[in-house]
Amino acid sequence: MSTLDIALRTTSPRARRLSPLVTLAQRRFQLTARTPRELVVPLLTPIMFAAVIAPALMTALHTATSYEAFVAVGTVGLLIPLNTMFSGLSVIVDRESGAQRELLTAPIPRSSLVLGNLVVALATTSLQLAVLIAVALARGIHFHTTAGGVLWFVGAAGLFAVGMYGVAEILAARVPKQEEYIARVPAIAIVPWFLAGALFPITALPTFLSWVAKFLPLSHALALMRYGLLQDSSGLHNIWGMSGPTTMAALSLGLVGGFAVLLSIAATRVFTRSATS
Amino acid sequence: MNAIEVRSLTKTYPGGVEAVKGVDFDVATGEVFGLLGPNGAGKSTTVGMLTTTVEPTSGSARLGGHDVAEEPLAARRLSSVVFQEAVVDRSLSGRRNLEIHASLWGVDRREAQEQIGELAETVGVGELLDRAVATYSGGERRRLELARALVSRPRVLFLDEPTVGLDPRIRAELLDVIGALREQSELTVLLTTHYLDEAERLCDRVAIIHAGRIVALDAPSTLRASLGRELIELHVDGDVDAALAALQLRGVAGDDAFSLGSRLTVPLHGHDSREAIEVIHELRLPGGISAREPTLDDVYLRLTGDSLATAA
Repeated sequence: MSTLDIALRTTSPRARRLSPLVTLAQRRFQLTARTPRELVVPLLTPIMFAAVIAPALMTALHTATSYEAFVAVGTVGLLIPLNTMFSGLSVIVDRESGAQRELLTAPIPRSSLVLGNLVVALATTSLQLAVLIAVALARGIHFHTTAGGVLWFVGAAGLFAVGMYGVAEILAARVPKQEEYIARVPAIAIVPWFLAGALFPITALPTFLSWVAKFLPLSHALALMRYGLLQDSSGLHNIWGMSGPTTMAALSLGLVGGFAVLLSIAATRVFTRSATS
Repeated sequence: MNAIEVRSLTKTYPGGVEAVKGVDFDVATGEVFGLLGPNGAGKSTTVGMLTTTVEPTSGSARLGGHDVAEEPLAARRLSSVVFQEAVVDRSLSGRRNLEIHASLWGVDRREAQEQIGELAETVGVGELLDRAVATYSGGERRRLELARALVSRPRVLFLDEPTVGLDPRIRAELLDVIGALREQSELTVLLTTHYLDEAERLCDRVAIIHAGRIVALDAPSTLRASLGRELIELHVDGDVDAALAALQLRGVAGDDAFSLGSRLTVPLHGHDSREAIEVIHELRLPGGISAREPTLDDVYLRLTGDSLATAA
């Protein structure tokens, strides 16, 4: 009996299924930890917004203190796409000069390679969100929230991050070079942010663009996060025009969840196909 | 049971490039089998299909009885690959690269640690294991990749041009290590190469692959023997075809004599080389003459009309 046979017989089926995912996630963590820019660079812009630009806007435009809180949540909508898109860059590095070809010959479903990367992208995004919120709190911004509110926030941020990581994987599979990938990041990560009600309510947009904004997953995610952290349902109302905040929140969460599921499935399929020539 | 069974395997890439045009071969358990051919012959595509990273257009391939298209996980579980180019996590240590492979192939952790220590010593990277792979030389990295491929105790090992890009000394050392694998009777090795000496030295049987087709398949000695025990090589200053015709007329050259540029190669098939050289002198054919034993390059040249050494 070979070593492999012995190993397969002495490990439970569930552990056997999870073991490759754990290994892949650990590997990605270690590679990410060795390239600190992957963690730090996406954090710079949102922190600049929360710590410098939002206070400057407040001073210049004489906005209320609540606007700083509004923008603090808005910057989350920039941090998540930026970080997940930067995580996608590592897929290209893996393909160009890393061990991706070796991993493709491993006796594991290829979807687990995407999942392993996703786990780490979510973890680094969570870390960065924690830093961003800590910076906001340190600046004296108050979040009026409850345990339930935190759950809305975490659900919206988590599902939106999953969907955006799907976008990153798809782009990484389609684009051959890092340079081309980086050139496309602003259009995907930043342009929607200007339209999604990050800095101002979507009702301030021209009518056509406000309708476009209602279909952006980021608009729903931001409205949900504000509902969760600030108990402000105006963003949800601007999208749905209904009166029950919980219903609107559930609808938006469903939409962001659908975005996450669809993009995850698409990312797995695109990666698997692109990995096999 | 054969470790590898390939039937009518083809691969046509998008755009219509036919990389593999219906190859058939079997590799017995414990055999070291070579795919010999120049770059672009279809060797790596064939290995890609066997390792499930390239989807076959038609035909079938089995590893340990598992169809690579129908049961890819089972087929991959039995095999490991050493790639033509470096495929490692450079910022991780050598040990970590090996541990990741062992874990993904389901090797028990304690067993893996023992295996890693032993294999690293065997391939000569024992002292480097805890250094980042980025600091390894090309030869050290290739040794590490060989150790990594073996850590899961594969039944089938694919070596895709394992010595390309290495300097001669390191290449010779690596060939020693690969040669030692032959002692493991359970391990089946499929080696692709365009180096004749590698094929001669390491392989039990060799398939010569040219433009996506297998043009000859046998033991290296048998392939060489197809050209007899000795041949004469002439570097003709003038009309090579006329020289060949003259030699055929005198019964020195047979139908299997062949030419490449100004080089005319004449298998002697039992003729005495001194007599043959005398005939050449009598015919006053201008140019240099040498007598030697046939090589696999001669076989390749005879079959494809091209020299492997130049084609590669």
